[in-house]
Amino acid sequence: MYECISAFNDLKLAKKYKYIIFKLSDDNREIVVEEASAEKDWEVFRQKLISATAKTKSGAVTKGPRYAVYDFEYGLASGEGLRNKITFIAWSPDDAGVMPKMIYASSKEGLKRSLNGIGYELQANDPDDIEYDTVLKTVSKGLAG
Amino acid sequence: MAAQQSLPNTQAPLDVYGGDEVSALVLDAGYCHTRAGFAGEDVPKSVLPSFYGSLKTSNPDSTTTTYREIFGDECLYPRADFEVKNYMSRSESVVEDWDAATKLWEHMLISRLQPDRESPPIIRSSAKEGTADGEGDVAMEDVEVQEKPLAENPLLMTEAPWNSGKAREKAIEIAMENWGCPAFWMTRTPVCAAFAAGKASALVIDVGGANTSVTAIHDGMILKRSIQKSQIGGLWLSQQIRTMWDNNEPKVNVVPYFMIENKTPVDAGAPAQARLRKYPFEITSSYRAYEEERLLTEFKESVVEVWRGPGRYLNPGNEELVKTQPGRVFEMPDGWNQMWREQRYRVSEGMWDENAALPNPDGNAKAQTIPEMIKACLNAVDVDLRPNLLGNVVVTGGTSLLNGFNDRLNNELMAMHPGMKIKLHAAGLTTERRFGAWIGGSILASLGTFHQMWISRKEYEENGVGIVEKRCK
Repeated sequence: MYECISAFNDLKLAKKYKYIIFKLSDDNREIVVEEASAEKDWEVFRQKLISATAKTKSGAVTKGPRYAVYDFEYGLASGEGLRNKITFIAWSPDDAGVMPKMIYASSKEGLKRSLNGIGYELQANDPDDIEYDTVLKTVSKGLAG
Repeated sequence: MAAQQSLPNTQAPLDVYGGDEVSALVLDAGYCHTRAGFAGEDVPKSVLPSFYGSLKTSNPDSTTTTYREIFGDECLYPRADFEVKNYMSRSESVVEDWDAATKLWEHMLISRLQPDRESPPIIRSSAKEGTADGEGDVAMEDVEVQEKPLAENPLLMTEAPWNSGKAREKAIEIAMENWGCPAFWMTRTPVCAAFAAGKASALVIDVGGANTSVTAIHDGMILKRSIQKSQIGGLWLSQQIRTMWDNNEPKVNVVPYFMIENKTPVDAGAPAQARLRKYPFEITSSYRAYEEERLLTEFKESVVEVWRGPGRYLNPGNEELVKTQPGRVFEMPDGWNQMWREQRYRVSEGMWDENAALPNPDGNAKAQTIPEMIKACLNAVDVDLRPNLLGNVVVTGGTSLLNGFNDRLNNELMAMHPGMKIKLHAAGLTTERRFGAWIGGSILASLGTFHQMWISRKEYEENGVGIVEKRCK
């Protein structure tokens, strides 16, 4: 958990990263950083979420949920300059197993509470939900240009 | 997994889920069925009707009569002096008769789930006495004199979102005092259903046996003011079917299976040719009603369908369209059979369109329809939350398995909220829909991270029953 907070602070204060993807450790006991990256391309980030996996009890690999934080940057349509909004994404694909979905959904609050400075929270369940334009529209409340 | 499940509890490897608690039990009580099983498993091991039998026995040495409760569907067969009762309240889906509830739960959690455990002698003797009259399942009494039966099993129970504080306190008291559970937790069914769908925020539509509820969940918390409850559920639909059968030409004769000795196949619409079974005792009306309900369930599963929309079924043209489509034949236990075509859509339409509800002899046909419940629920929550809720609609409950239900729901939502993004989430597996809340509870209770949540025995002893109100919010 400490690792998650410090990575988040690096993103928030030092602007070291563009996004961080968190996951549950294999024993489902704690939340760990899966990846922290400065990659600016949303599509790369989106594909990472879509291809995320989780292991079922029997050891089979299925689609897996993740938590992510993305430092969203957009220009206002009114021309008043750039805005940044740190967006928390609870990614839980509908075709993931019940078990991982349940674990991620019920553990989300813990992580969210320890990350201070989240501007927007998003619950996403299929690849359409995390299209750049869709997210931009909701995060900016329609003000992006 | 299957191999592990069959192991007796004491031998089951405790480290399967990385040290998670596997001996925890999960109990989900509904008006029609009560489900119990081990945390971490995919389906409840024991699913019994919440209906139970009450057998009148006269003591030979005196004139007093006593009633003995028997549990389980296999002992609900025709017998003398036998009433079928239910421990839940039909209008509320919460426990009404705590004595019976405790006994039924004990029967499930102890006798059914842990048959391998060393049973206290008292149970054996009563079991023997039970076998004498052909009864395998007997109510257990005097369990308390023995070691507490669930001293090693934390218990997670689900509850309706409108469950009263008193009822919750009673539940923890039974778990702690009667059964000696080391830890206890209560969780609300819609939250379980939403979590099982991977959502912390959702609009949960739970179409159950006795009740249908619509609840808004935000960040894992129930928005109390949003809770809507209506009688429109499986039993309400049964009532509609009965009305339809009564008004059918000819009137449908509801004869449950147990009354039929043999039957001869007849052509559609021809009078039944069946010989009725004779019983040397009177069949109580409660038992007959229970059996009729089972027949109605079969009819619902195989014949009834929901008009998929768009628009209401009673809109001009729809009925004519359905009349040109093939119908479905249903054969009653006595052999009488008929093709049902437009009627099978008509009976379920009252769930959506108040004007379509068939008159009900009980006089309570007027029930809040599903679209009205959704509207009332959304009106009670903040405007900003509504789009998110509509994008995360979770459908659960056995009655939602009606053919066409989800299509209609989707159409109704789109008509109510044009231009909004609406997404339904309904588990494809029927077990996940029927046992949605149980499965959610099962996963929750099996999580290592859930350990710190349990109300421990020590906390209970320090704070008393009030702890459940403080902790299980």
